[in-house]
Amino acid sequence: MGKHLFLIWKNLRRNARRSILTVISTSISVFLIGSLLSVYGMLYGSEVREESALRLVTRHKVSLTQALPYHYRSKIAAIDGVENLLPMNWFGGVYIDQKPEHMFPRFAVDQEELFDIYREYEVPAEQLEAFQRDRQGMAIGKSIADRLGLRLGQRITIKGDIYPFDPEFTIRAIFEGPDDFNSFFHFKYLEEGLGPEAGSHVGVFTIRLRSVEDASSVARAVDEMFRNAPEPTKTETEAAFALAFVSQIGNVKLFLLSIGTAIVFTMLMVSANTMAMSVRERTREIGVLKTLGFPSGSVLGLVLGEAAVISLLGGVLGVVLTLGVTTAMAGVMVQFFTGFTLPSWGVVACFAVALGVGLGSSAVPAAVAARTRIVDALRHTG
Amino acid sequence: MNSGIAISMRNLCKEYTREEFKVVALDDITLDIAEGEFFCLMGPSGSGKSTLLHLVAGIDRPTSGSLGVLGADIADMTDRELARWRSENIGYVFQTFNLIPVLTAWENVELPLQLTHLKRPDRLERARTALEIVGLGDRLDHLPKQLSGGQEQRVAIARALVTDPAIILADEPTGELDAASANEVLSILTTLNRDHGKTIIMVTHDPRAARFARTSRYLDKGRMMEMQTPSVMD
Ligand SMILES: Nc1ncnc2c1ncn2[C@@H]1O[C@H](COP(=O)(O)OP(=O)(O)OP(=O)(O)O)[C@@H](O)[C@H]1O
Ligand SMILES: [Mg+2]
Repeated sequence: MGKHLFLIWKNLRRNARRSILTVISTSISVFLIGSLLSVYGMLYGSEVREESALRLVTRHKVSLTQALPYHYRSKIAAIDGVENLLPMNWFGGVYIDQKPEHMFPRFAVDQEELFDIYREYEVPAEQLEAFQRDRQGMAIGKSIADRLGLRLGQRITIKGDIYPFDPEFTIRAIFEGPDDFNSFFHFKYLEEGLGPEAGSHVGVFTIRLRSVEDASSVARAVDEMFRNAPEPTKTETEAAFALAFVSQIGNVKLFLLSIGTAIVFTMLMVSANTMAMSVRERTREIGVLKTLGFPSGSVLGLVLGEAAVISLLGGVLGVVLTLGVTTAMAGVMVQFFTGFTLPSWGVVACFAVALGVGLGSSAVPAAVAARTRIVDALRHTG
Repeated sequence: MNSGIAISMRNLCKEYTREEFKVVALDDITLDIAEGEFFCLMGPSGSGKSTLLHLVAGIDRPTSGSLGVLGADIADMTDRELARWRSENIGYVFQTFNLIPVLTAWENVELPLQLTHLKRPDRLERARTALEIVGLGDRLDHLPKQLSGGQEQRVAIARALVTDPAIILADEPTGELDAASANEVLSILTTLNRDHGKTIIMVTHDPRAARFARTSRYLDKGRMMEMQTPSVMD
């Protein structure tokens, strides 16, 4: 193979335009697959962090849009294995305008418990105190603050959409940590703005467990407790909850899988056609190589080697493109998710697909080239 | 090794079957070619001349009969053994040169040496020597398309002789060349035969070319004709 590399390289340069086009089309396909894998990795692949594994989310069994009674709080707190829990209300609203770069999630929470539940968030003590003291205080994640250029002490207004209420906040705390793309404010402020009825209902409860081992028993105990209540619950791990949130869009997994399959299939067809063409027009030359004494195996190696070089070049380009684009887009995606980047197993998968398609599509032409009888190859014209 | 016989054919037959048609390309050829011979094969188109060279080179197999080349029974070898044997013992020159278009003259000539254990500097040195023998030491880095037909054929001869094979087979080597280039090519072949002891079998249509050879024979419809020399012809 080593000695043949030179010949492979020369052959690729023979029809430089076709080689370049093939590399580009491979890289675009790899980029598409890489992007899909990035989305997949973001949704399903992010490893559950220790802190996150300690949390369960309890919501209405029927749908996310239905609220739970506030008084569930003390009942859940009494369950064995529950260390603490946080009532949370999703407050939609609009900051400045609907542009994606202005979006960030806002939750009304119990300001006293917040950082006890989310212990991975780091917040300076004096900021925490200021946030807890100010009824209109807001704590925001550093990644949002950076993105929107928000500073401590700054006042912002949110226009309500789900709720008929335009709250005004003062940024009191900026916390840092993984997934720090959320913002929080006082549950009481929401209740004030909307009336006591609002205070009696909660979107979800986020439970902090004493130990990870308790996860399934606590989840079962909570749901069992309210099974026959007018508002039954569904309790799941935080990771599963995030996924359920996305699945409202549809069967994401199947969707990603079918697009990926379609791309690979298209790639295979295009690449097979190109390889077949490039081998066919060199039939005579292959006859010459064999006449010189090159064994069939070498001819096979030459053709496969060419495909491998093209695939690997396309793979590298595609992966670089994917990493570039996902990094650039991560800023926009950060409103909902972090981890929008090609995971290392995705890089491996991209190369495997590129190489697999390259070798797969050239296997037949290579075998034909290797098997063609020398006399027939030499008689070949065109 | 054999006693002075390079190639020995006994009742050699070659048939091709295309669909229902059966073509007898070689019909019962019995012939010995001595070591160091410059053998010229003539005959009308379709008479089986190329087929005979193919069999001797081991790039095609006889239908029946026996064929010994340099003492080896090449009909018994596997394709792989045959490829190796060919790379060591046979140099092949085509009518249409068949140089690899993306490789320079030097690289084309070095190509067969990639099948040897020689290191790259040695391979390049040998290839350069071979090109000097055919008078193209100053065209090392030219691509085939930058050479004249005669020069291309001389590169092809250099490629055929670079592995120092005992036998050189040339299938109408001057078929595409003008008279002057043809003469150059033929005198190179003569030199290889006379000074380097190569056994040469050359197929040609050209009686003038045949005059360079020591022996000439005619093929007609796959059969070897009785002794005829080109001098009788013109
Ligand atoms: N690979 C093949 N398959 C089928 N028939 C073949 C094949 N090679 C040669 N033939 C047939 O065998 C016969 C002899 O062919 P060959 O090429 O040996 O003739 P030739 O004497 O070299 O002719 P030319 O002077 O035109 O080169 C022809 O009838 C040809 O059609
Ligand atoms: Mg012929």
